[in-house]
Amino acid sequence: MMGDPATVDAELRRLLAEVTGRPELRGIPADTALFGGGVGLDSLSGTLLLRQVQRRFGVDVAAEDLNLDSLESLGTLAAFVVERLSSGSK
Amino acid sequence: MTGEAVIKCVVWDIDNTLLNGVYLESAGEPPPADPVLADVLRGLSNRGILQALASRNPPEAAQYVRAVTGAEFAAVECGWGGKAEAIARIAADLDMPLDAIAFVDDDMLERAQVAAELPDVLVLTPEDAAEAVDWPQFSPGVITAEARKRGQLYAERRRRQAAASMFGGSRDEFLRQVGTRITIRPAQAADLPRLHELSVRTHQLNSAGDLLSEAELTAMLGTPEREVATLRLADNFGDDGLVGAAILARDGAASITVPLIMMSCRALGRGALDALLAWTCRAAAQEGATELAVPCLVTDRNVPMRLALAAAGLRAEPGSVAADGRAIFTRSLAGDMPDLPDWVSVEAAQ
Repeated sequence: MMGDPATVDAELRRLLAEVTGRPELRGIPADTALFGGGVGLDSLSGTLLLRQVQRRFGVDVAAEDLNLDSLESLGTLAAFVVERLSSGSK
Repeated sequence: MTGEAVIKCVVWDIDNTLLNGVYLESAGEPPPADPVLADVLRGLSNRGILQALASRNPPEAAQYVRAVTGAEFAAVECGWGGKAEAIARIAADLDMPLDAIAFVDDDMLERAQVAAELPDVLVLTPEDAAEAVDWPQFSPGVITAEARKRGQLYAERRRRQAAASMFGGSRDEFLRQVGTRITIRPAQAADLPRLHELSVRTHQLNSAGDLLSEAELTAMLGTPEREVATLRLADNFGDDGLVGAAILARDGAASITVPLIMMSCRALGRGALDALLAWTCRAAAQEGATELAVPCLVTDRNVPMRLALAAAGLRAEPGSVAADGRAIFTRSLAGDMPDLPDWVSVEAAQ
């Protein structure tokens, strides 16, 4: 099901590989920093990722997280999405 | 590939592009056609260039656009899928190579995604499209020098996109590979018209959301408490010139405020905004400030700006968005500073 943590994690990895054009990013550890360093997410790829997350899960991260701290790593982003999906489901 | 292939089909977005508004958001009658682009549409059709639609709308939107523009569309893709896939289907339908296709959309992110996934497609803003009819890609006949220059800029961009889509490494490795050169230096009087234009035209990469007149900019250049820094961008594909700026205000001893930081969408994905923010942090620290503050409008349009602020270590108090729609993003200037890559050069005032 959609809000299942394993499904969210796998889907976020697919979206990250898609927006960066780098398939090898699917295999990064969940706590790898998305900004700077190895992944090097920037304002373009980061916004594309957030938009795909909104289309895929209906979670508008940019509207709900002023500082976008949930983009720190795949782990924090997955936790944010899972939390919003479970609090939104009745 | 030369990037200057002749365009045989233009794929148009509908909302805020061919229509002066959003089809589904109109309560009664849908919004009217954009008169300038409707003219462009007819002009291009008269030259034998095909027209197509790619829109996140129900199919009725296409019928409506047909009625209000009087244009015939050779292919229509209305639905909720990605624009890149829609364009690829149109190309297959019309049996046309991707480098014979131009795509016009007001949304920067739709353009960026199509550019990344289909680098051979000529990707244009509605403003570009209005003048592109004079470019060599659309009119193999006689053309002006100015039109040739603008057409050239887009040809460079297409070659850069093609290189980026084939490159397997990180963004920074790509920027180094293509010889990215960024120059940051104090604004001079000759820069003022371009700075004013940027303040009017930038939205998604603009912190303040206010436009600055040339008179206001002139006043700042003569004020010791204000520093206006410009950023120029070039690489092996071409020179984009002045694409961004930051204004630093020394209002108190301990804190430096940035009333405006802005960047052309042309520079998106090319490390320019990150470089300008890194330089701003470093320059503020050098002046002895202990804190940097960037008031930033919080809207769904300037998410790219907020992402860049977050990446440079700036944070706002959660829930602190003021009545004017802004939150103040701050960071301490003690300790580690954001990296300034070695392709960035900083020039002092002469």
